Amino acid sequence: MDGVSPLEQYLERCNGQDDISTSPQLFAPMSPYDVDLPIQTTPDAPFASQFNQPKELPPDFSSVDLSFLPDISQDDQDQNPCEGAQDTQKELDGSVSRNEDSGVFLEESGLSEADTTQPCSETSGVCPPLTPMTPVTPVTPASESSGIVPQLQNIVSTVNLACKLDLKNIALHARNAEYNPKRFAAVIMRIREPRTTALIFSSGKMVCTGAKSLSLKMPFGPFLMWTESCGTFKKKEPKTPGAQYEHEEQSRLAARKYARVVQKLGFPAKFLDFKIQNMVGSCDVRFPIRLEGLVLTHQQFSSYEPELFPGLIYRMVKPRIVLLIFVSGKVVLTGAKERSEIYEAFENIYPILKGFKKSS
Amino acid sequence: LPDAHYAQAQLVCAACGCVAAEGLLTTTFGDEEHLREVAFSRSTGQREQRSRSVQRGVKRVQDLCRVLRLPRALEETAVSHAERALPRAAFRRLGLPKKELLGGCCVLASCRQHGWPLTMGTLCSLLYADAELLAGVYRGLRAELRLCVPALGLAELVKTHLNSFRLFQQAADIPAPFVEDKEQTVTRTLQVVELAGDTWLVTGRHPVPIVTAAAFLAWQSLRPAARLACTLARFCRAAGVEVPPPAPLRLKELHDVLLRMAAQLAWLRVLRLDKKTVVKHLGDILQHRVFLLRKAFRTEDEEEEEEDEEEKEEAPLDAPISDSEIEQYLRGREEARAFGKAKAWL
Repeated sequence: MDGVSPLEQYLERCNGQDDISTSPQLFAPMSPYDVDLPIQTTPDAPFASQFNQPKELPPDFSSVDLSFLPDISQDDQDQNPCEGAQDTQKELDGSVSRNEDSGVFLEESGLSEADTTQPCSETSGVCPPLTPMTPVTPVTPASESSGIVPQLQNIVSTVNLACKLDLKNIALHARNAEYNPKRFAAVIMRIREPRTTALIFSSGKMVCTGAKSLSLKMPFGPFLMWTESCGTFKKKEPKTPGAQYEHEEQSRLAARKYARVVQKLGFPAKFLDFKIQNMVGSCDVRFPIRLEGLVLTHQQFSSYEPELFPGLIYRMVKPRIVLLIFVSGKVVLTGAKERSEIYEAFENIYPILKGFKKSS
Repeated sequence: LPDAHYAQAQLVCAACGCVAAEGLLTTTFGDEEHLREVAFSRSTGQREQRSRSVQRGVKRVQDLCRVLRLPRALEETAVSHAERALPRAAFRRLGLPKKELLGGCCVLASCRQHGWPLTMGTLCSLLYADAELLAGVYRGLRAELRLCVPALGLAELVKTHLNSFRLFQQAADIPAPFVEDKEQTVTRTLQVVELAGDTWLVTGRHPVPIVTAAAFLAWQSLRPAARLACTLARFCRAAGVEVPPPAPLRLKELHDVLLRMAAQLAWLRVLRLDKKTVVKHLGDILQHRVFLLRKAFRTEDEEEEEEDEEEKEEAPLDAPISDSEIEQYLRGREEARAFGKAKAWL
């Protein structure tokens, strides 16, 4: 194990798999080296303070291709404190004038319009001109970590089996399939392990949903694999974000099982273009939230109509996530293609929600 | 030589005086400088005309406003929303039922913006519309026109909702002790609704049931001796309104809140009130509500217990999938044939 970089070890393990394995690019945003911080969008991630454990980093990365890691440009780092400071300032002032421009998305180059929505250049003058003009949910200073991790509840993925399928035949020979062509033009198939449901279409395309929990018990998991490769063999802690990593794998494993069923039924199924289309997460901030107040100050992102739905629908711009916020403090996050988006969205919303926490 | 005959410019030969060229009727648009050809559609003002469908839609909006007896200003706002919305690509293609809903949503948005408490329920019954459908059209309208629409004002809702209650005048089918003064009822109901808001009973909930339950409590408390025995259902019947399904639950929640607050008042604590009798003292409770709210609902930060999640061990990344596992899902040939036969019977 010495002298071989952990990435290479990991890739070696992946290479020995069957032909329907996908590249590790699937987990691109996660750095396999950082055992404590598998999900990072900025280096000074909010998780840093909580999960600071002695890291044993592999020695030399110079030869390793890190192009799959997300871009952490200097601009983002410079922007964040600026935006956070400026927007906190605006919120403290209680000025809603910026929000009143109700979603007028100015282009970055449209600085010629001397509008009220020129945040940074007016107030601080330190920010780079790359400040986006789109109204963005204010970013928190990195020091405030919520300490709460949203749990993934559902993953929807699609895959192309790349062969025409005879749905009647499948429904006849598969026990776990239902097919009502008059109601819906696909076979609905379920497997127990992982507990998922798939929609299989005659074109060969398949949608797989569920993939929430694990019940199969095996001694080693991928997280432990990685820690082992980094030189430390740590027991996995369920609360760290990495521990839920299994959801994406669950979805992929489930999709592969369905593909195998179809193969066994005699169709030349492949496993192409596996893609996670949507991820749903939820968590609880554990304090009641004044939704009426939130919709006032964040009008352009929020929709709160108690006559229609008890929760507030918050459409976050960056990352592009929809949050359902309820008075009880429960929050549902959806629309993510990667789990990092869910975490980022929650870290963005948490300080805003805390502002509406009231004791009555 | 340039010359002019009346207003027509002419070029006249200097020598013989013949008209060499007459002024052409120019096709320039607006000022001389523009020098653009004027397209027919522009010169006839066709652009300024509204299409017939927009006109129809606007008329419908105006009709709705008249039916609802809305003030002129509200009607004008609603019409301006409709004029903006109807020509839009997103809405032009809507079928007539949905266009009707769109008109209703313009009215709703206008009402909200002017603080007029029109509920979606009222709009749905007016338009014979499905609430889900209305919700979709409303959200679409708000997004498309980027409207800032304030929330429904509860205070205004109380006033208009109580207007439809029949208990403020003598009538043959209403027992005498049930008749009440409107102003007093409205004032007290407002206070109870405000109390409900402060105690987290309003957020996320449908507003009308809260108003109904609050009105019931207020009405009861103004003459408890005669009215304590009356149920919410009976009250609504007498008032001539329907009982909204969540109202009994809201009533129970209000009772609980009042009991908690009453327990903080020394002279009420000794009385050992229950949900019936606490209503008698509603006046007292409302009078001291600021103090009582603070005392009764002081939140304590409870220590959260660490949830011990089960250790979940998962299958490896690209685990081999055993044949036997897959085969459990497949029918054997005999079984498939039998199944096929059985299906044919059905």
